[in-house]
Amino acid sequence: MSSKPAFKVLGKDTPRQDGVAKVTGREIFASDMAFPNMLYGRILKSPYAHAKVKSMDVSKAEAMGAVTLTPGEIPDIKYCPRLVSVPSSTYKDWKVLAEKGHYVGEPIGAVAAESEEEAQRALESIEVDYEVLGASFDAFDSMKLGADLIHEQIYLEDDLIDVKNNIGCQLEITEGDPASLEAADYVIERTYRTNRRYHNQLETKSVLVRPEPDGGVSIWSTTQTIHNTRLLIHDIYGIPMGKIRVYKVALGGSFGSSIHVNPPVTVAVGLALKSRRPVKLCYTREEDIRDHCAYQIIFKLKLGAFKDGTLAGGQMEAYLDIGAHQIQAYPLLGCVVGWWVSLYRLPYKEYVGKAVYTNKVPCCAFRGYGNPQTTWVVETMMDELAGMIGVDPLDFRLKNFIGEGELFWGQGPTVKSIIRSCGVEEILTKGAEMVDWYNRLKPEEQTGRYRKGWGVGRGFHTSSAGAPVPSSIIDFGGAMLKMNEDGTFDYVSALMDHGCGTQDAHAKIIAEELCVPVDKVNIIRADTGTTVYDVCTHASRGVYSGGGAALKVAGKVKEQIREFAGRILDAYPHAVRIRYDEARGQAVVYAEGIEGREVTYRDVAETARQKNWGTAASVESYRQPSCPPHFTGYFVDVEVDTWTGKVKLLRVVAGADIGTVINPKLAAGQVHGGFAQGWGMTVLEDTPYDPESGDLMNGGSVANYKVPTTCDLLDLEDLTVFFADTYEPTGPFGAKGLGEGALNPVAGAIANAIQSALGVRFFQLPITPIRILEALKEKEG
Amino acid sequence: MEIEITVNGRKRRFDVEPNKLLLNLVRDELYLTGTKYGCGIGECGACTVLLDGEAVLSCMVLAVDADGKCVETIEGVADGDKLDPIQEAYIEEGAIQCGFCTPGFIMTTKALLKENPDPSEAEIREYLKGNYCRCTGYVNIIKAVQSAAKKLRS
Amino acid sequence: MYVNKVNTHILPIEFEYHAPKSLDETVELLEKYGEDAHVLAGGTDLLPHMKQRRVEPKHIVNIKGIPELACIKEIPEGIHIGALAKLRAIELSPLINEKLPLLSEAARSVGSIQIRNLGTIGGNICNASPSADMATPLMAVDAKVHVYSKSGEKNYPIVEFFHGRGEVRLEQGELVTGFTVPHLPEGAGSAFEKIGWTTLDIATVNVAAVVSLKDGKIDHCSIALGACSPAPIRGVLAEEILRGREPSAEAMDEAVELIATCVEPRERWRRAPPEYRQRTSKALARDAVTRAVEAARR
Repeated sequence: MSSKPAFKVLGKDTPRQDGVAKVTGREIFASDMAFPNMLYGRILKSPYAHAKVKSMDVSKAEAMGAVTLTPGEIPDIKYCPRLVSVPSSTYKDWKVLAEKGHYVGEPIGAVAAESEEEAQRALESIEVDYEVLGASFDAFDSMKLGADLIHEQIYLEDDLIDVKNNIGCQLEITEGDPASLEAADYVIERTYRTNRRYHNQLETKSVLVRPEPDGGVSIWSTTQTIHNTRLLIHDIYGIPMGKIRVYKVALGGSFGSSIHVNPPVTVAVGLALKSRRPVKLCYTREEDIRDHCAYQIIFKLKLGAFKDGTLAGGQMEAYLDIGAHQIQAYPLLGCVVGWWVSLYRLPYKEYVGKAVYTNKVPCCAFRGYGNPQTTWVVETMMDELAGMIGVDPLDFRLKNFIGEGELFWGQGPTVKSIIRSCGVEEILTKGAEMVDWYNRLKPEEQTGRYRKGWGVGRGFHTSSAGAPVPSSIIDFGGAMLKMNEDGTFDYVSALMDHGCGTQDAHAKIIAEELCVPVDKVNIIRADTGTTVYDVCTHASRGVYSGGGAALKVAGKVKEQIREFAGRILDAYPHAVRIRYDEARGQAVVYAEGIEGREVTYRDVAETARQKNWGTAASVESYRQPSCPPHFTGYFVDVEVDTWTGKVKLLRVVAGADIGTVINPKLAAGQVHGGFAQGWGMTVLEDTPYDPESGDLMNGGSVANYKVPTTCDLLDLEDLTVFFADTYEPTGPFGAKGLGEGALNPVAGAIANAIQSALGVRFFQLPITPIRILEALKEKEG
Repeated sequence: MEIEITVNGRKRRFDVEPNKLLLNLVRDELYLTGTKYGCGIGECGACTVLLDGEAVLSCMVLAVDADGKCVETIEGVADGDKLDPIQEAYIEEGAIQCGFCTPGFIMTTKALLKENPDPSEAEIREYLKGNYCRCTGYVNIIKAVQSAAKKLRS
Repeated sequence: MYVNKVNTHILPIEFEYHAPKSLDETVELLEKYGEDAHVLAGGTDLLPHMKQRRVEPKHIVNIKGIPELACIKEIPEGIHIGALAKLRAIELSPLINEKLPLLSEAARSVGSIQIRNLGTIGGNICNASPSADMATPLMAVDAKVHVYSKSGEKNYPIVEFFHGRGEVRLEQGELVTGFTVPHLPEGAGSAFEKIGWTTLDIATVNVAAVVSLKDGKIDHCSIALGACSPAPIRGVLAEEILRGREPSAEAMDEAVELIATCVEPRERWRRAPPEYRQRTSKALARDAVTRAVEAARR
């Protein structure tokens, strides 16, 4: 149990500030932007999985009046579209328009015209001569001797390096005493294969670029980072940074797909610079599904345990089938080992990770950044190992989990800190009680068509990539806060809100610190010119890191308010107190016990104005000292129809330790959404390839990429979410992240439930009805 | 082709090509961008509008087919600054995350509650099945519809 | 190549638009333009197909201006459903719900409310998809298809309408105007079963069954299956083996084994391998017949 301070604003449900705009259709997303005189852009995509562009004839498109863009017209620069890691950890193999298509759908040219219809006709008129090359759709095929190289040379920072066997990058780490694993009483070794999920964020990647008279550009785009967008455009096009303005617009979902700067942005800038007209470029859904997907990982995992139920150690090989480009493959190699070794205590750990190119859509972060994949593997094996030892899988977890006071690899081997708050035990024991875990049926007790199963899975995710020392990952942000003359506040930050209510959380943190209701804190939508740098909204860092920056500026502004009020009241600034006066609708600064010595925020601000003292304001950058894990756990009951292979959810209990809960309904919403995505990941979603055409088997159609609907989940009464009572000492008012941890253990929990129903374990995701029937046939005939 | 459509209560006249989709007419000609493109093939429901009171996908309707009809978009739901109880409920229940699906959900909810003022949870889920949300897992959306139904009944 | 031709933002092709006000005017246009013309009814299949460039008609003949095609009415021979009847109307029609609940159940399984508010029964059938959710129930109830052309009206049993391999029996200048469903046997029960990846999906397999009982034994029995053969089919052998028998577990076992022998799923269908469709067609047939029997008992 924690001893939380009593909060006035935090922990209560408050409406989000963008709510009215979003329910009235007046919220503006990048795809809603329009300017007079704008052109519509379309991208010419490689129709082959691997083919050199020998020549491109755009004369017909030009003759139609379209503006065209070919590879030769763009600065010849190789880059990485994700700028979150330091340069020495950043591999670069991208070009705005590729001279060689490395996957079906890769941008190789572009047009802009007066309407989308005209742009489409112009696009179709472009004639391209290709030299088709051998393509690989499997990481192990790519690594075979003699396989065609997808990239021959790439850059690491500024060094040109040769690619061998299509391995883009690799990482090896060994820690501890190998004798421990050798002495294990029980050992399991398995190969697991995850799916290639498509984010299916509801807004397709979109951008509007307006060229400015000073030679610069203004950009409104789907992005998780306005500052890194500006950096990349500067790097590619050489425009001075002050002349690049990237504006925040609402983001219609991202889930990691817009950490990197999206291809439409880099292309549209080229089109806008050439045409001298605003250019709008929105991906269609079929373009978007050929743009990004989650990292597909093939794991070889070996875990050993002793008879007493403790783990002896493990070995992991992780092969990342990254598709045709690196977005953040190298940092992910580090994260995968971090996710693995931070789940359970391993006296010995040996890890080899390889990122392998294939001629498929490039993989990028997708909520959890390799953690849902890794946790599925580990949680599956933990269940299997528990069975082997003969202990209850829940007890096995409780015995081995990494918790308070222990070392946590927040984002791989270079981002470590000590865990200060941990709700694992509370989540697991409370959840077990709620589902009556220890009295569940055993799989062997079931026969017949419908079989019930019970599963548990636990996990975590980092909240930010902060740490006491600098690492290969950049993690800082910043904020500005000022007091207005009516006693309200304007909060300005570059940090993007994906819809999680992150900025609202910041506003609440500020309101708590300044003793005002949250509606006194306005969230101002800003741009790169009016904000200090924030790295990106990713790694579940929004509340913890961004909230840390918000708290810092709130504290500074509070000091100035005390200073001004002290002058007005003739009191010592450090002695005055602040309370909120409902009747006046104002916060009041007062000298305790001295009658009449009080002044409202409004009067403080107005007096400061009239007396020319200035504005109570602060702008600060901020780096968090830690990367605390937020913990989650799921208990899942399922029923499997052994005639059709369909899995039905019966009950789910989810527990989360996120430190102080800032906005309960929105926090629960993260868990609901995380569960729904995990459900899709486990039983439904994948994007396999057709080796003949080299294209996605779904043909780019979301009619063939199904995601759960309202009717494919649970009834309200069957889903319970609870929060552990914890307080993170390094977080703003004790808060941690949640977004990714809400998803990470879901696949493990569901997979374990399916195993418990059928007595069959699955080593490949998704566990589709087809695979279930195949496995049952093998088992039962 | 010349057509006349009543959009959010106001008669509007257009001269359109026959291949113009109602979705693009509403978004590009009227700048009513609350109606969203999500997939273009009827999988997501983000483009839902009410056509003569019925929820339909504006990406699957030719503008010429709306000639003489009434189209209601998300921008027509509130009465000036006064939100519809459905809109209020979506905010109160935390049913909004990224908000891109929200207009479509609200339009479908409106059609549902007009047809069935007291729907069961199963009926709500069935009616909203064609609206896809990747953020919320639908839980708070279902609660919002229940809460809106209650508000509208009282 | 197609990746650069598909554009679901817009209708990326141009066409001449026709909105005839009568049947005669319609068939005249269809005859005149032949394969260059496509009929637009609900548009829920045609418009996506045009965006995806699966079809590129030069002429669109929008038949929504012929309201009599949307009727649902009782006639002496049974029930007549116009080709333009929306799936939502079939789902909600009191007449259909009372006399042909199989059709309302099947209609409810199609897409979403928004799709059903647009999509029509005629479109669902004429699209010639092996998984069309209205085709199996219409086959199970022995519906007749009405076709109109310059040479007048004709009709034939719906089993003759599906040619297989995505084709239907329609000649140039012909338009499907509706369907007539004969009266079901007294006390018949029916059921529709469908499986897809999610609840918003085309069928991986669908099954419609109609059963009537006489002295506790199966009298009338019809079973139709979709998405497990190149065209919707009737499970004739299974029907035969069930007729005259009590609906026992053994009878069901025999029947579904025969179902498995008559379905012919295609290897190249990507959504599911043939074996999966075979196994689930058995499961769904069993479920459908069981539920139909229960309904007949009520």
